[in-house]
Amino acid sequence: MGDLLEIDGMSAAYGRIQALSEVSLKVPEGAIVALLGSNGAGKSTTLSTVSRLVPVTKGRIRFAGEEIQSWASHKVVSAGVLQVPEGREVFRDMSVRENLDMGAYRRNDSAGIRRDLDKVFEYFPKLQERLQQKAGTLSGGEQQMLLIGRALMAGPRLLLLDEPSLGLSPVLVQQIFAIIERLNKDGLTILLVEQNAAIALGCSTYAYILENGEMALEGASAKLREDDSVRRTYLGG
Amino acid sequence: MDLQVALIFLQQGIASGLVSGSVYALLALAIVVIFKTSDVPNFAQGEVFMAAGYVALYLFVFQKMPIWVVLPATLVVAFLAMALFRRFVLDQVAKSAKDLVYLVIATLGLSYVLKGLVRRTGFGDTPRSFPALVSTESVMIGQASVTMLDLTIFGTAVTVMAAFFWMFNYTKTGRVMRAVGMNPKAAQLVGVDLRRCHMLIWGLSGGISAIAALLISPKILMTADMGSIVMLAFAAAIVGGFSSLPGAVVGGFVIGIVENMVGLFISSRAIVLAPFLAILIVLVLRPQGLFGGKLTIKKV
Repeated sequence: MGDLLEIDGMSAAYGRIQALSEVSLKVPEGAIVALLGSNGAGKSTTLSTVSRLVPVTKGRIRFAGEEIQSWASHKVVSAGVLQVPEGREVFRDMSVRENLDMGAYRRNDSAGIRRDLDKVFEYFPKLQERLQQKAGTLSGGEQQMLLIGRALMAGPRLLLLDEPSLGLSPVLVQQIFAIIERLNKDGLTILLVEQNAAIALGCSTYAYILENGEMALEGASAKLREDDSVRRTYLGG
Repeated sequence: MDLQVALIFLQQGIASGLVSGSVYALLALAIVVIFKTSDVPNFAQGEVFMAAGYVALYLFVFQKMPIWVVLPATLVVAFLAMALFRRFVLDQVAKSAKDLVYLVIATLGLSYVLKGLVRRTGFGDTPRSFPALVSTESVMIGQASVTMLDLTIFGTAVTVMAAFFWMFNYTKTGRVMRAVGMNPKAAQLVGVDLRRCHMLIWGLSGGISAIAALLISPKILMTADMGSIVMLAFAAAIVGGFSSLPGAVVGGFVIGIVENMVGLFISSRAIVLAPFLAILIVLVLRPQGLFGGKLTIKKV
């Protein structure tokens, strides 16, 4: 299968501060690709350039054959690129139900929305129990589930997951990653940003490692797991 | 003062307070809906109100247009002016300067531009009056004397505010506005076109200000400085908690009633102090305002 997302020689900057320089990566259709690196390496920035929240100064982003680097963020969402941001970016004072409805904001096919809502409940039965609860009062793990559920409501083709393990207990991390793998089996393509390299290399087929805004290393995840320098720097031994 | 007179004053104070409070409430609502979604206190709200009044005056008195053209035309002009200001001035400013202070200064700029424009046309040189479209004969409600115009002002304001609440809380458009106010980044990530949403909000806020102007201009003398009434709307917004829509409305009525009571019971010269006294009392007893909810700490 071809590449669903292709980033080619992309640079990005926040004002005058260069955040990414000449980053290239590919996400084949149907794959889980991991993007690793230490804090501040530019992982989240990469996702936000694809979501069109951060301007691209150089290079190209191609999604499903179309160049999207100059698109507006809402157009990217309509095309099926959904970011699941880190840091509990829920609509705090809205109910779980309203948050999920907001996920389907750009859609008009009520039958499809209904179907996707049922699917979200299947992946996250907890959310169905808490439908009327305010999102801000959910636990960290539940908010993470809600964020993924909200993105699923948009009917995505590509999911950009930003640090889904952040701040969660080991048990919850296992649960979330089990669902991520299930989503992938059900046909969703995923670009996964993680600091937890061990778990990310475990579930992905291919991985990239960013350092100071530049691509430092790439390779099949199984290979990278055996790589000595990767083990030392990112896997703690 | 005997009890009989005090009772009459009380009724009159409430009735008159609800009428002037209608205008404060509308303007406070216009201010708060922008603050909630943009984090910017719009210091040009009073001048938008003033300019809308002059647009109506110009079309109705000088161009002799029929009123059913004048009313919608005024609303459309105010809507477009604010929406375009948001799109072509504020979005531009925001692009080059991240700090919100620049946006606030830009709204101050708009207020001077509008005042300057009205002064230049010459219509603002002499105080003028907008002809009343509704009878100004008195009717008695209880022991308070009000006019049909007063009742129209109050009725229209309440209807407009109710319609706005309904839109904000129960429609898809309103939900998007609330989402943008809560978390603009998340709103963008689900596909909200922030620019369009802000234009709509600023436009509606302009429209509400225009309604306030249309309602009150038959009762006051119009000058280029009539926008200073916005001080009272800000007072109302503060009393209400500054980020609560019901708070803004209640705050507006509170300020209106307090003002009239002070005028009746104390002295008409003390009226200008009344709103500030109300702010003081509310902020001392309830720092977050009447409807401010729990105090929250915002990370910056």
